[in-house]
Amino acid sequence: MTDRNKERFVLSRRAFTRSAFMAGTALAMPAIIGRSAFAQGGAGLEAYTSANVDWKRHAGTKIMVGGATHPWSNAVTPFIPQFTELTGIEVETDFRSETEFLTALPIKLASGSPTPDVFMYLAYGQGITAGWLEPLNAYYENKDLVDPAWYDEADILKSAREYPLWQNGERYAFAITAEAQTLYVNRGYLKEKGLDTPKTFDELLAAARALKSNDVAGIAMRAKAAGNATFPLTGFIYSYGGELVRDGRVAYDSPEAIAAVEMFTTLLREAGPIGVSNYDWYEALNDFMQGASAITSDTSNFATDISNPQKSKVAADAGFALFPTTGSRPAIPNMSCWQAAVNSKSNNKEAAFLFLLWATSKATSLQTSARGLATTRVSAWESEGFRSAFGQEAAQAALANLHNADAELAKRARFHPQSPQILNELAVGVSLALSGSETAEKAMKDAAAKANAQLRK
Amino acid sequence: MGKRPAGGSGRKASWRRERGHFILLMLTPAIVLLTGLILVPFVVGFGLSFTDYILSLPPARFAGFDNYMTLLSTPEFWGSLRVTLIFTVCSVVLQTAIGLGLAILLHEETRGVPILRAIYLLPMAVTPIAAVFTFRMMFNPSLGVFNHILMGMGLPPQDWLGTGNMALLSLILVDTWQHAPFILLIIAGGLASLPGDPFEAAKIDGATPWQTFRLVTLPLLKPFLAIALLFRSIDAFKTFDIIYVLTSGGPGTSTTTLNMYAYKQAIEFVSLGYGSSVAIVMLIIITIVTQLFLRRSRLLTVAES
Repeated sequence: MTDRNKERFVLSRRAFTRSAFMAGTALAMPAIIGRSAFAQGGAGLEAYTSANVDWKRHAGTKIMVGGATHPWSNAVTPFIPQFTELTGIEVETDFRSETEFLTALPIKLASGSPTPDVFMYLAYGQGITAGWLEPLNAYYENKDLVDPAWYDEADILKSAREYPLWQNGERYAFAITAEAQTLYVNRGYLKEKGLDTPKTFDELLAAARALKSNDVAGIAMRAKAAGNATFPLTGFIYSYGGELVRDGRVAYDSPEAIAAVEMFTTLLREAGPIGVSNYDWYEALNDFMQGASAITSDTSNFATDISNPQKSKVAADAGFALFPTTGSRPAIPNMSCWQAAVNSKSNNKEAAFLFLLWATSKATSLQTSARGLATTRVSAWESEGFRSAFGQEAAQAALANLHNADAELAKRARFHPQSPQILNELAVGVSLALSGSETAEKAMKDAAAKANAQLRK
Repeated sequence: MGKRPAGGSGRKASWRRERGHFILLMLTPAIVLLTGLILVPFVVGFGLSFTDYILSLPPARFAGFDNYMTLLSTPEFWGSLRVTLIFTVCSVVLQTAIGLGLAILLHEETRGVPILRAIYLLPMAVTPIAAVFTFRMMFNPSLGVFNHILMGMGLPPQDWLGTGNMALLSLILVDTWQHAPFILLIIAGGLASLPGDPFEAAKIDGATPWQTFRLVTLPLLKPFLAIALLFRSIDAFKTFDIIYVLTSGGPGTSTTTLNMYAYKQAIEFVSLGYGSSVAIVMLIIITIVTQLFLRRSRLLTVAES
């Protein structure tokens, strides 16, 4: 909120004196914080100035970065003074809780607001059809802004590189994180029952059934009747050969998708905790960390908390594994990237682009990944700093799952202009199937029909 | 002398003008706020409800009564209306019973009463969203305190938010916990302001406590009850925070109230046109029900006897 108040700052004499003092402090800050940040991350300004980029071309401008309170914003914020020192561009940040941010952003953008200049973004398709996101190809081709050899796009994970690529070949955002669905198992519990880490869905079901007791759930995953809770289920649907969206229409009523929903709901009904139909990621993660569930499957970002002995009782026992297969098809875990885009109404588009270029560069990724952030850079994933912050085994599993994921499939669903409706109907359908009030087949057929009826032709 | 009356009326006129200016000045902030926060959004929402505006698929096109026709023909709308009515009626009845009961019990001034009254009013002092998040943790089937207590007593753990009926019941309980003190507060105020004579007369006539309550206290309390019921019903009809945090309208759509439905359409799906039409229909329902309640019930008049 303090950031917001600054916008309405009225300049009186006292205010002027105060802002002069603050400006003085702000000018001194990069030298102080910047140096300590470099010391931690091991990268100095030379890592950037060696690039053939005119970093100072927008010195003196000020940009606002909007986003969610998230590992990305937490990891990048300490290094922002370094960006200011490099470019002379001042950065104001406005990070709020994820729900609050994602709810307020479309309304702000639709009203034509020029701020935030840069913002974290998920509903990519919506943003493009609405014209909120600045097309970035022209910026990438500008030799004063980008030095391709220095930026080294080949170093970006393939799925993350393909993620922002729109059908027309245009790019409207930078992928800033890479997450893939990972299987988490409690090795201690598996060992007690003499079980191995499951590799197929049938083994997963057998293991979950065997591990279920009065005190411990065999498996817990998010399954709440809300669109964003469909993340784990989606990997099941892809791996069974199903899709969420085909040719712009909802397709989760296919036999493959129904078989996946059948497996997903059977797992949770027979081996899940009571109340699982109301589980969000928060409950799934907490249950696993407290040892109240033996298995879970969700985003690779869970690893940071699960491996942290201060938060997790099972840090020593936790195993990180590949997403299971049907046995006859390859596993296709769900994946996702947070992206960051430039506001098409911004008055400082090039400065905003420079910020994203800096934030996704090799050198910055190396620094942020040492704080446990799952960046989009191969070099950062392989770095010693990241491996020790994220956990060696977790990093390996996440990277392998990212490699198996299919960015195209994920994009088709999530980038549909009416993706929230599509995912909401899926969530409601699964919720009905899970409660047993409807069969998976009927629930999915009804859900797809309802979703398709809402799509604008 | 001749000028005097003229001067007097001149002063009077200028005094009247000044008074007019003063009233206008005093009313301006309220009028500006009402216009900015209520009138303008209402007019914009009303206008939007006749378009097919989806934020992510501009531009908005005029759609006549399409949204309203779709709305009235979708089972989701009728389902949400049903859930809303069940939630409103059950929670308001429960809260009124508890609020009234506690108010009557606390009316007898004994030593413990001031402390008890403060304790009972506490739920109103807690930030609603913080309280609801705490309930979310307490309802958690595997780690929550409710099931821990049940199991401690040898009872089976409950799936508080996991099945349709149970989730609705849990929401009603949380709403009651939070808002029964509101009813208690209004009724306690009412009780304190009641005249003493009818009670003395009842005592002299040898009425039992139950007779006194039914035939004297309750009729006299009617206007206070009416205000409490009206406020709570309107508020319960548009409850959002509890449902959003605890169930998001699930499992399935079993706790999707009209307000949740409007929120999902307008904010989650950024379908402003359709979402606005749901909100307008809600407004119409609340207005009609309120008017009926006020006119038919005659609760706002004090009983004669």
